[in-house]
Amino acid sequence: MSEKQQKSRTGNIGGFIADRSYYVLGVLLFLVVWQAASMLKMFGNDFSEAFSPLAAALALIEMAKDGDIVRHAVPSLRRVLVSLACAIIVALPVGVLVGYFKRLEQLTYVVFQFMRMISPLAWMPIAIIMFGVGDVSVTFLLWLVAIWPLILNTAHGAGRVSPLWLNMAKTMGAMDAGILRKIIIPAAIPDMLTGLRLAVGVSWIILVPAEMLGVPDGLGYFILDTRDRFRYDQLIATIVVIGAIGYLLDSVNRWLISKYSWKI
Amino acid sequence: MSDELHNGSITAGRKKLISLRGVSKNFRKNGKEITVVNNCNLDIAENEFLVIVGPTGSGKSTFLKMIAGFEAPTTGEIRLGGEIIKGPGADRGMIFQEYALLPWRNVLKNVELGLEFKGGKSEARNRELAMKYIDMVGLSSAVNKHPVELSGGMKRRASLAMILVTKPKILLMDGPFNALDSKTKMTLHEEITRIWKHERNTIIFVTSDLDEAVKLSDRIAVMNRAGQISNIFRNDLPRPRTGKAALETDFHNRFVKLREEVLNEVKAGAGKAVCEY
Repeated sequence: MSEKQQKSRTGNIGGFIADRSYYVLGVLLFLVVWQAASMLKMFGNDFSEAFSPLAAALALIEMAKDGDIVRHAVPSLRRVLVSLACAIIVALPVGVLVGYFKRLEQLTYVVFQFMRMISPLAWMPIAIIMFGVGDVSVTFLLWLVAIWPLILNTAHGAGRVSPLWLNMAKTMGAMDAGILRKIIIPAAIPDMLTGLRLAVGVSWIILVPAEMLGVPDGLGYFILDTRDRFRYDQLIATIVVIGAIGYLLDSVNRWLISKYSWKI
Repeated sequence: MSDELHNGSITAGRKKLISLRGVSKNFRKNGKEITVVNNCNLDIAENEFLVIVGPTGSGKSTFLKMIAGFEAPTTGEIRLGGEIIKGPGADRGMIFQEYALLPWRNVLKNVELGLEFKGGKSEARNRELAMKYIDMVGLSSAVNKHPVELSGGMKRRASLAMILVTKPKILLMDGPFNALDSKTKMTLHEEITRIWKHERNTIIFVTSDLDEAVKLSDRIAVMNRAGQISNIFRNDLPRPRTGKAALETDFHNRFVKLREEVLNEVKAGAGKAVCEY
């Protein structure tokens, strides 16, 4: 979203409230339709009651009270954040180099595009052979999904550095390290952040199936657990939690982008 | 036509700083070899203000880029203080036709960039120096603005301060004031003349504006479509060349006469075919 649009929206308080109320209204409408559908038994006679938002809300309160949410959300968040941190450490230098050196980009292009299209879950058996069942395997799979958007976007950003900036730096007597630190990396930041946003999105999506591979906690694990205990209200509540955390993570990213992206 | 010698002699008593000997530059374009700069010989003195004019496509920019070190001559050599130029360096600050400001830095931070590259000075000292040059180009009111918020003239000033702060011995200016309105242009002419006098640097200035050329230069080199320096005019008009002085009839006549001479030379050079083989 451009700054202009944001300004005109927040320009007057009346308009701001009107805008916000439409967002809230959308959520309310969704809940109403969902509740009506479950009251009309549209999810089947046996399950419709447990699938309703009201049942989910009650289950959510119950899970918050007995600590189930925290017990499972914390390991999930930890796995995503650790894998993202590892992905950033690898992807930023690789992305900058690939973006900056055309030959390196040509060398890696086919391989990267090829790898990007493979679901990390396909690597699951290999991850388990290499790292065994547990945290390391899940983190590895998440890492594997997060690095591609980070690498490719960083490379795109580093490749977009204006030759004019480079020439200017050279005419100021800048060395390679200075050019990298003061021109190329800051120039690539908006694209890095876009890459981060995509990486967080896919990581969070892949987390749930990855946590179904034998770890003893996490939101993905808890989905299977609630199913096994026939607690479909808790299952729906867990889905709501997954969606809410994902939304929050994305919001943080959007905030980062609006704060650190420069404009031409 | 001026009776000035080709390869115009540097005024007696001035020290030679840059010398070009038999400098040519060829480019391949659409499979054809094109000579953009053709066998140029030129000496440039220390603290000289040399303006290069010529029709579009006469190789003026390439000429400047070779002195900056971004392009190597195909044949011939360019020496700076006796040494052959091998690449870009901080002693030759180039101001480009387009703005090279970093969009994520504000004016102050942009001007500090060159000092950061140099290193060795405290942040406070860098800031102080940057502010001095921002003041010099008249941008004090915009130090915290980002390039996106600046007008064309302000961007030029910022680019100028950005290079000036690094104190290059030689300033290479490639059409720095093109496409500016005449008032801004006139202000910047006064600024650059003042800075040149103050810093005692050598300026090589490319333009297609002949008024600008006569106003600023010590000498005017004219390039033709074949990429040759067809003539060099000495400009002995007294400085300052603006304000009251410009209203004197004698000054005005000499100004117009020189401009006409340069114009005729440019016109003659524009007709010559581009050298291809």
